Amino acid sequence: MKLSEAKVGRTYKISKVLGPPVFVLRLKEMGITAGEKVQVLRKAPLGGPVEVKVKGYCVSLRRDEAEMVKLVPEGCER
Amino acid sequence: MREVVVALAGNPNVGKTALINSLTGAKLKVGNWPGVTVEKKEVFLKYKDTNITFVDLPGIYSLTPFSVEERIARDFLINSKIDAIVNVVDSTNIERNLYLTTQLAQLAEFGIPILLVLNFWDEVRKKGIKINTELIESVLGVKCIPAVAVDGTGVDTILEILVSGNLKTPKPITFSEDLERLVKRVEEDLRSFFKDRCPYPVRWAAVKVVENDEEVTEALGKLGFDASSYRAEAEEIERLKGEDIATIFAEERYSFISGLVREAVKRPYERRMEITDVLDAIFMHRVLGLPIFLLLMYLVFKLTFDGSAPFIDWVDGLINGFIAKWCSYLINLAGLPEWLRSLLIDGVLQGVGLVLSFVPLMLFLYFFLAVLEETGYMARAAFVMDRLMHSVGLHGKSFIPLVIGFRCNVPAILATRTLERERDRKLTALLVPFMSCGARLPIYALFTGVFFKKHQAEVVLLLYLMGVLVSLAVGVILRKTVLKGESPPFIMELPPYRFPTWKMLWNSIWMRTKAFVHKAGTVIALSMVILWLFTNLPFGTSPENSLLGKFSREVAVVFKPAGFGNSWQAVAALIPGTIAKEVVVGALGQLYGVEEESASEKPTEFADDLRQQIKGFFLACRDSFYSMFGSVKVGVFEMEEENTGIATKIAADFSPLSAFSYMVFCLLWIPCIVTLGAYYREFGWSTVGIAILITTVVPWIISTLIYNLGVVFGFH
Ligand SMILES: Nc1nc2c(ncn2[C@@H]2O[C@H](COP(=O)(O)OP(=O)(O)OP(=O)(O)O)[C@@H](O)[C@H]2O)c(=O)[nH]1
Ligand SMILES: [Mg+2]
Repeated sequence: MKLSEAKVGRTYKISKVLGPPVFVLRLKEMGITAGEKVQVLRKAPLGGPVEVKVKGYCVSLRRDEAEMVKLVPEGCER
Repeated sequence: MREVVVALAGNPNVGKTALINSLTGAKLKVGNWPGVTVEKKEVFLKYKDTNITFVDLPGIYSLTPFSVEERIARDFLINSKIDAIVNVVDSTNIERNLYLTTQLAQLAEFGIPILLVLNFWDEVRKKGIKINTELIESVLGVKCIPAVAVDGTGVDTILEILVSGNLKTPKPITFSEDLERLVKRVEEDLRSFFKDRCPYPVRWAAVKVVENDEEVTEALGKLGFDASSYRAEAEEIERLKGEDIATIFAEERYSFISGLVREAVKRPYERRMEITDVLDAIFMHRVLGLPIFLLLMYLVFKLTFDGSAPFIDWVDGLINGFIAKWCSYLINLAGLPEWLRSLLIDGVLQGVGLVLSFVPLMLFLYFFLAVLEETGYMARAAFVMDRLMHSVGLHGKSFIPLVIGFRCNVPAILATRTLERERDRKLTALLVPFMSCGARLPIYALFTGVFFKKHQAEVVLLLYLMGVLVSLAVGVILRKTVLKGESPPFIMELPPYRFPTWKMLWNSIWMRTKAFVHKAGTVIALSMVILWLFTNLPFGTSPENSLLGKFSREVAVVFKPAGFGNSWQAVAALIPGTIAKEVVVGALGQLYGVEEESASEKPTEFADDLRQQIKGFFLACRDSFYSMFGSVKVGVFEMEEENTGIATKIAADFSPLSAFSYMVFCLLWIPCIVTLGAYYREFGWSTVGIAILITTVVPWIISTLIYNLGVVFGFH
C-alpha cells in the first residue's frame, strides 16, 4: 500500500521508500525510512499534500512523493 | 586576548538563531518555521578574556546539501577554520536531531570539539520527557547542556564552557564490519596521498568517496586522487544489503542513534490530543483551510487600519502642526534665506513627514505579521497553499518567501534559497514583487483614506489578493515559456504551534520599525531633496513648468489609458518611487503640498503646544483600542476627519476608479532598487532585466485593464 492511499488517523509501518536515490536519502535523513512507524494526520483536499507524524514530529509530503512511500498496516487504530 | 570562532549547527527550526540572540544580545531574525536563516551571520561577543565570533548558519538535516541555504551551512562547516561547533538540538525530537550530530562527529579529524545544546528544555519538562544527559555525553563523547534559548536558561554555562576551552571532540561512530573496513582503507589512502593537505576532513571525505558522492569524488579527482577504484567493493556491499550505499550509511547511523535514544530518553505515553493537533484540525481543515487563511489576512489588515488610524492622525498633527510650525518659526528667527526654508519645510519635511506619519501603520502591520511568523502558522499556510502553487508548477514551500514578501520583498528573495531547484528559486523570486510589501501600505492608506474611507481594510485586502493572483498568472506564463520544468518534490517539517514571547515580538517589531524610520531619515530624505531640486529648476518657475513637471507631463500620456495620466504629480511621484515605495507617498506630499501657504502664524506657547500633543497621544491610544475591539464606533474622529490639504488635492485629481488603478499600478510596479540589488546578487544581471521588464509591463497592462473595465461598468 502507498502512503498516498493510507487512511487518515491510522498508524502504519514503512516497508520501503522508492524513487531516485537523492530523494530516498533525504527522506531517510529526515527519519522517513523502512521500519519507521508513521501516523497519517491529514490530507489536504484535491490531491494536496499529506501530513504525517514520524519519529515524533510532523512533516508534510506532496501526493507524488507520498506515492513513493510503501506501507504495511501496523496494529490497530489508535 | 583569545579569539575563537564558534559555529552554530543544527536542524532547521531548533532555535540556533534564538540561542545566538540569547548568548550575545543580538536581534537576528527568528521565526517558527524551518528555513528562517538563509545566510551566514556573524555576531561578536567579548566574554571575560575571550573574543568569541558566533556564526549563525542555516539549518541542515545532514552534511549532504539539497538547496542553496543548506550548501552555505555545509560549506562553512567543512571549509572554514572553526574552534568549536555548538550543535543545537531540539530535545523533544532527539532522535532525528542526533543524525546530524553523528555527521558532525566525522569532522573531528580537524579536531573540532562539539558542544551539544539540548534546546527546548522547557517543552521537554512540560511533556514529561526524561533525558539521561550523562549517558548521551558518555556515548557520544561530547558535553551536553540543557537550554531554553528564549529565556536564556543554560546560556551562562555554554559561555563558561566555550571560554574555558574545556571542550571534547566527539568519537565518530563505527560502521558495520565491511563498510568500516572500506572506509578505513579510503582514509589511509587519502592520508598517504595528501599527507596533511587533504582539502576535506579525512573521515568525512572517506565516507563521501565510498558513497560515491559526485561533488567530492570530482573535486578529489581534480587533485589527482582516483576515487573510482573503490566502486566495485562498494557495489558488492550494495548488492549484499540490497540498498543504495548512501542509504546504508544513513541506516547504520540511525540504528546507532536509535539504540542510544532507547536507553537515554524516556517518553511518557503520548497524550491523545495536543494543542497543535487541535489547532491544526482548524487551520489545516480540508475545506476551511483556505477561507481561514483569507480571513486571517483580512483580520490583519482590518486591525492594522483600525488600530493605527488614530495614531496616524496624531503623528500627522505632531509633524505638520507642531514640528513644522516650530521649525518654520526657528528658521524665520535664524533669518535663513527663503529657498532654504522651502527646501527644508516644503521639500524634506512635507515628504518625510508624510512618510513618517505612517509609522503607526507599520508598527501594527509588523506586529501582526510577527505573530503569524512566531506562532508557526507560516508552515501551515504553505501546506494549505500547496494546491494553488502547484498550478504554477511550484510547491507550497514557495509560498513562504511570498508571505515574507508581504513584509518586505528583499528578505523574501533571499528566502527562496530554501527551494531545491534553481529554476523554482528564480521563478519564485520573480513573483515576489507582486507581493505587496509594507512600504506600499502607506500609499494605500493615503488613497483609501480619501476614497474608500468606510472600506479601507476590504479594499486593501482586495489589492493584496490581486497581487497574489497576478503573481500566479505571471507564474503560469513564465513556467510555460522561459522557466519550463516539472514541479519539485515537497517535503516540509511542520513545527508545533508555539506561543510567541513578548520579547521575540518586540524584537521583530522594533528592528523593522527602526529600519523604516532610518530609511525615512536617509534614502527618502535624500530623494526629497533631489525631487525638490527638479521641481524648482530652472529657479523661479512654477512646479508645472519645472524640469520634473515638464518631463512628467510628457510621460503622462503613457498613463492616460490607465486613468491617472492627467495628474502630472501622480506620474512624477512614480519616478522616484523606484528608489523606495515610500517615496511615492513622500513625493505626493511634496508635490501636492508645494502651493500651500506656509503657516507662519504667531506661535502659541511652546509648552502648551507640547502638552496638547501629549494629550493627543493618550486620546489616540484610547480610540485605537475602541476601534479595534469595541463595538463603540468612534464618533469623535469621524467629525474631526476634515480632509487635510493633500487629501483635498488628491480628491480633486483622482476619481475612486483612477485612484484604484493608481494603487494597483504602485502595487505591481518595480518595488525598489534594493530588491533589484537582491536579484543581482542572487541571480545576476539577466534576472534583473527580466524583473524590470515584468514589473513595468504587467502593472501597465493590469491597471489599464482595470480602469477600462471600470469605465465600461460605469464606475467612473
Ligand atoms: N519554547 C521555546 N521556544 C524556543 C526555544 N528556542 C527557540 N524557540 C522558538 O523556536 C522557533 C525557532 O527558533 P529559531 O531561532 O528561528 O530557529 P533556527 O534554528 O534559527 O531556525 P532556522 O534558521 O530556520 O534553521 C522560534 O519561534 C523561537 O522563538 C526554546 O528553548 N523554548
Ligand atoms: Mg535561524
